[in-house]
Amino acid sequence: MNRAFLAALEDIFPADRLLTRDVELLPYESDALTAFSAKPGAVVLPVNEAEIVDAVRLCHEHAVPFVARGSGTSLSGGSLPIPEGLTIGLNRLNRIKRLDPQQRIAVVEPGVINLSISEAAQPYGLYYAPDPSSQSICTIGGNIAFNSGGAHCLKYGMTSNHALGMKVVLADGTVTQFGSESVEGVGIGPDLVGLFVGSEGLFGIALEITLRLMPQPEAYRTVLAAYDDLGRAGDAVSMVVASGLLPGAMEIMDRLAIEAAEASVKAGYPDAEALLIVELEGESIQVNTEFERLQGIIEQSGAFELRVANSEAERARIWKGRKGAFSAVGRLSPDYIVQDGVVPRSRLGEALLAIGALKEKYGLDVANVFHAGDGNLHPLILYDGREAGALEKAEALAGEILALCVNLGGSITGEHGIGMEKRDYLPAMFSEEEIDIMQALRRSIDPKEIANRGKMFPGGEAPALQLQGMHPLEKAGVISRE
Amino acid sequence: MSGSAPRSVAELQAIVRDNERVHAVGNGSKAALHHNSRGAAIADLSGLTGIIEYQPSEYTVTVGAGTPLRDLAAALSQQGQYLPCDPLMGASATIGGTVACNLAGSRRFRYGGVRDFILGAEVVDGLGRAFRVGGKVVKNAAGFDLSKFLVGSLGRYAIMTELTFKVFPDAPSFGSLRFDYGTLDEALRAIYFINQSAFELDALDMMPVSDGWSLLARLAGYDETLPQRVERFSAAMTRETAPFNITELADSLALWDPVADLAGGCLVKVALSPKRIPAFDAKLAGARRRYSVGGNVAWLATDEVDALDAALQELALTGLCLRGAVESALIGAPIDNVLAQRVKQALDPQDKLV
Repeated sequence: MNRAFLAALEDIFPADRLLTRDVELLPYESDALTAFSAKPGAVVLPVNEAEIVDAVRLCHEHAVPFVARGSGTSLSGGSLPIPEGLTIGLNRLNRIKRLDPQQRIAVVEPGVINLSISEAAQPYGLYYAPDPSSQSICTIGGNIAFNSGGAHCLKYGMTSNHALGMKVVLADGTVTQFGSESVEGVGIGPDLVGLFVGSEGLFGIALEITLRLMPQPEAYRTVLAAYDDLGRAGDAVSMVVASGLLPGAMEIMDRLAIEAAEASVKAGYPDAEALLIVELEGESIQVNTEFERLQGIIEQSGAFELRVANSEAERARIWKGRKGAFSAVGRLSPDYIVQDGVVPRSRLGEALLAIGALKEKYGLDVANVFHAGDGNLHPLILYDGREAGALEKAEALAGEILALCVNLGGSITGEHGIGMEKRDYLPAMFSEEEIDIMQALRRSIDPKEIANRGKMFPGGEAPALQLQGMHPLEKAGVISRE
Repeated sequence: MSGSAPRSVAELQAIVRDNERVHAVGNGSKAALHHNSRGAAIADLSGLTGIIEYQPSEYTVTVGAGTPLRDLAAALSQQGQYLPCDPLMGASATIGGTVACNLAGSRRFRYGGVRDFILGAEVVDGLGRAFRVGGKVVKNAAGFDLSKFLVGSLGRYAIMTELTFKVFPDAPSFGSLRFDYGTLDEALRAIYFINQSAFELDALDMMPVSDGWSLLARLAGYDETLPQRVERFSAAMTRETAPFNITELADSLALWDPVADLAGGCLVKVALSPKRIPAFDAKLAGARRRYSVGGNVAWLATDEVDALDAALQELALTGLCLRGAVESALIGAPIDNVLAQRVKQALDPQDKLV
């Protein structure tokens, strides 16, 4: 790393918050996409906004690439270090600066953990809606960068729909603010919050975020339906949608995912080819009526078993298996790749059949877990990294699944983002001209292309794929890949 | 002012390429936006109409930008669905104009605004390039989300030709109530109570009346349970917020059109948060007004635009004039932002789109 740059960093950060020795850098070499790793030139750990801004300005001045990092749970390699670049660790900016329950807003720093916002809002009957499975550890700054989703997106949207305003430092060191405390933003003028969310760290770093909180639903009704055919579970989703019901969540797991979840967390799931979880939420009187309708639909859909959660404990048990399904699959196989694609909901059945055929073609197992309500597939491709060529084979299968999603009219990512993992697939979804325009936009904000360099766009120097197995936190069951 | 109505994206691209300045117009229902188009050629998008793709089971609809809102609403309602950002209908307003001006009605309260329901778009930028932003499925995280950026962009960065939205099933039945309070403060406290309660309102507006302030609240749901929910809500409001009067109202579209009673003068929209209303309202005694979306949007009708402009500047708020003789449709605090300028450089470096 450039000596002048390092010396300037030393003027800003004390030695215990400026990491440059190999042993100190090691924990930052990967994020949750463990197949990739890269050594950063240095890591800084700012404790306030001014230090972040100073660090970004230095990077711009010295043309040193940087990436912001929260808890490092990105599944697309979004917070993977840039070789010889600066990693800006934001975990210490973890204050909820203001909670205003009357207006249902929270103003937070980027290193605040997703779940801690709901915990702080809970005494006021409010919560923060987006619930990625890593919510007990992932930070809002990362959620903003990647427009994170979760199991409850269909009704209330993703991170972008819950961010009202923010202060950011752009890649060239300019500090600016947009949005407001109103749900309508500033009312007129382009929606800059909407543009910044999901920009994968390529525009800059969010310094302060104003989030919308939601009232906790008065009642939940959660049902688990078992099917002897995966297609029938998919059809049940279409029937629910056609009925005019708008559930908070609809999730499907296939046999392999069910078996893994059973072996791992013992949720007591029935022995089935497919499980469908549907959760209704809202005012109790309304939910009870909806539940009667839902029961009728599930009965007609050919489920051989229907379980209804009659208590919060039973609801938690139904979700436990689903939320733990990914790390559970890790027990069945030394390694696996989590894919994240979207297909139109009506083509779910077709997509699952095609994935089944790809499984045969490649001779690899694939477990399917997905957010069925919004057509968001999460196929888990199992492989053994110790076998020569196995990772490459699994990657090739993953690539075919993404191509399939695009061909069916969907997207190559529903909620994980492009990051490092999918940058070569961007052209499957956007034309050369569309990618050129996005790159021109990026350069007009970041002329030196230093912010999260090497992510989102195809090409560029890529760290070699490596075999690393599961993330240590994932092995410990703290985070999971969805 | 020359004008032409392109029938295709290619014709629109030619207009952008062949002219120094281009100003996009839908059906011209928001007259105040078109007074100061700097001698630009008019691109009249009213020809790019029609429902291009509608799959009720996908909860998505793709339409031409010039499609009148009433046509879209009619198509959705045939399938029991609606656009939950609740576009303001107007006489002839188009969906493109609704996105460009970020206009949502009272029902936006329940699920969100235009930004929350736009999924993707086809656009022509200031360099005459036609391209797609966003996607066509309800969930998508690929690439920069320029479709959200278009919301409120006033056609100044790229002209929309086609738009894709998420839609939801609509409720079969509605119940509306009016709660009367002596003061603004009491009415606001009632909003704060609702905000922290688990009651799921379809809409919540507030307005001054002769003897104080009224809250208008709407519940949506099934015929068989709605009366019970209305009663329960009403009882909780009585207990917690002590209105001096409660009236059950006949539900109607007009009741929930926040600008229906604001005829005459300039019509202005201002976004704000409920806690800013007291200071804001104190400066507006002369204007007829309604606070919509739980106090997050103010609608005003006034003949004294200059006074409103000054008041908004003082409060650091921005207003959008939709109707009336104004020099600029934007009043109050300027909305310039460095990030928006950077996007302008990338999409319209010659400042063609005005």
